[in-house]
Amino acid sequence: MLKIHNLHKTFKSTKILDGISLEVEKSRIFGLAGPSGSGKSTLLRCIQQLEVPDCGFLECGGKTGFMFQDFQLFPHMTVLENLLYATKFVDKKSNDKKESKKNHMHLAQNMLKKLSIEEKAGIYPRSLSGGQKQRVALARSLMIDPDIFLCDEPTSGLDVATIQDVVQLLKSVNEVGVTMIIASHDLDFLTKISDRIVLLKEGRIAVDIDVRQQPDPAAYLKRFYAASS
Amino acid sequence: MEKFLANSIYIGRGLGFVLQLLGGGFLIGIIVGLLLSIFRYRKASVFLVERFVSVIRGTPLILQLSFIYFSIPGICGIKMGVLSAGIIAFGINSSAYVSEILRSGIESLPKGQFEAAQTLGIPKYYMWKDIILPQVITNVLPALVNEIIALLKETALIAIIGGMDIMRRSQIIAAEQFEYFTPLCIAGVYYYFLVLLIELVGKKIEKKQSDVKNP
Ligand SMILES: Nc1ncnc2c1ncn2[C@@H]1O[C@H](COP(=O)(O)OP(=O)(O)OP(=O)(O)O)[C@@H](O)[C@H]1O
Ligand SMILES: [Mg+2]
Repeated sequence: MLKIHNLHKTFKSTKILDGISLEVEKSRIFGLAGPSGSGKSTLLRCIQQLEVPDCGFLECGGKTGFMFQDFQLFPHMTVLENLLYATKFVDKKSNDKKESKKNHMHLAQNMLKKLSIEEKAGIYPRSLSGGQKQRVALARSLMIDPDIFLCDEPTSGLDVATIQDVVQLLKSVNEVGVTMIIASHDLDFLTKISDRIVLLKEGRIAVDIDVRQQPDPAAYLKRFYAASS
Repeated sequence: MEKFLANSIYIGRGLGFVLQLLGGGFLIGIIVGLLLSIFRYRKASVFLVERFVSVIRGTPLILQLSFIYFSIPGICGIKMGVLSAGIIAFGINSSAYVSEILRSGIESLPKGQFEAAQTLGIPKYYMWKDIILPQVITNVLPALVNEIIALLKETALIAIIGGMDIMRRSQIIAAEQFEYFTPLCIAGVYYYFLVLLIELVGKKIEKKQSDVKNP
């Protein structure tokens, strides 16, 4: 589904990604760990083509959805409008516009409910809390029905219960075949959700583990953070 | 007193003319200004737009107005009325200022807003129309109101090509009656009244927009 080979990215003569190679199969959930500044967001942005890599090979076998680390909600639209706006460009070929509009509306409300923010549907982003914005951003990026979901820090501002909501939503989306790459600092969350976790450090892949074959992945990964300081 | 009323009415008959100039000019200004600011942001035609804006801002409006009214007909044989020449001249002039206002508004919007539109698969036209410009216009509304007020005051230049606006009418009366004080004061009151009206409408729109967002 996604192939990356020897990807390099430099910002103002600082090497951020120094030869990243990885392959993600369809319907897998792929975790991206690593210290702050290790280049997780940069890698995701390269995959989404928001950044141009210096060199390397990148092949993406489907439509991507992207959740920004800083949300980037549209401030002049309500939560529901944020979710629905882009959907009218999704299945343009479908001849039943009304039907597709209804389905999207249903999907949006369902998603808000699953994330426990359904009562915020009519509210503007500026009056949401950080964690609420985060969940709206997550829902919005899933609304366009992506094949590959690139997700940057979906849980950084959330409490334990809400993280559980997010885990469940992502799992249910994954069940219908959506491939996911999730960057996060939250190792417990990553362990809970991913099939495989890669840890970025100094621009390279320092660790690459299969979550099911590791007795305690979070503890194992934590050691690499300690070693970095 | 009767003379004062008659003078006021005579000068006031220029109001409609001034409003036509202002309305037509600003309409052209905002449409052309929008297009210029978008073209400029797309980098394809930065140089041309920059030159245009620079020339318009770097030459007197009175020259631009005379150029359009007196020399264009000579060059291309199109005959223009005072009103159309005025609307075109004020429109083009205003478009340069409006495009700069919008440009700074577009540039101060977070880059992530463009990226978000892109990642959501929103086509370029809709991105500008529904995502970028509504935010930009809200942000630059006070500057746009200032531009309308500046334009209103500049319409007084129409007198040099013979337009019968408020200013010109007050001068005619002054010349006829050998008295400048009253007719100029009357003209000043009319202009100032219009400015207050524009400010009021601007404030109303601003308030309405912030009410929508903070219910
Ligand atoms: N547009 C940019 N221009 C210059 N430097 C940048 C740019 N974007 C990112 N960087 C730099 O690249 C490095 C990696 O940033 P990135 O956002 O990818 O890290 P991250 O792993 O996502 O960190 P965090 O966990 O804090 O989100 C940082 O040192 C950052 O300063
Ligand atoms: Mg990041």
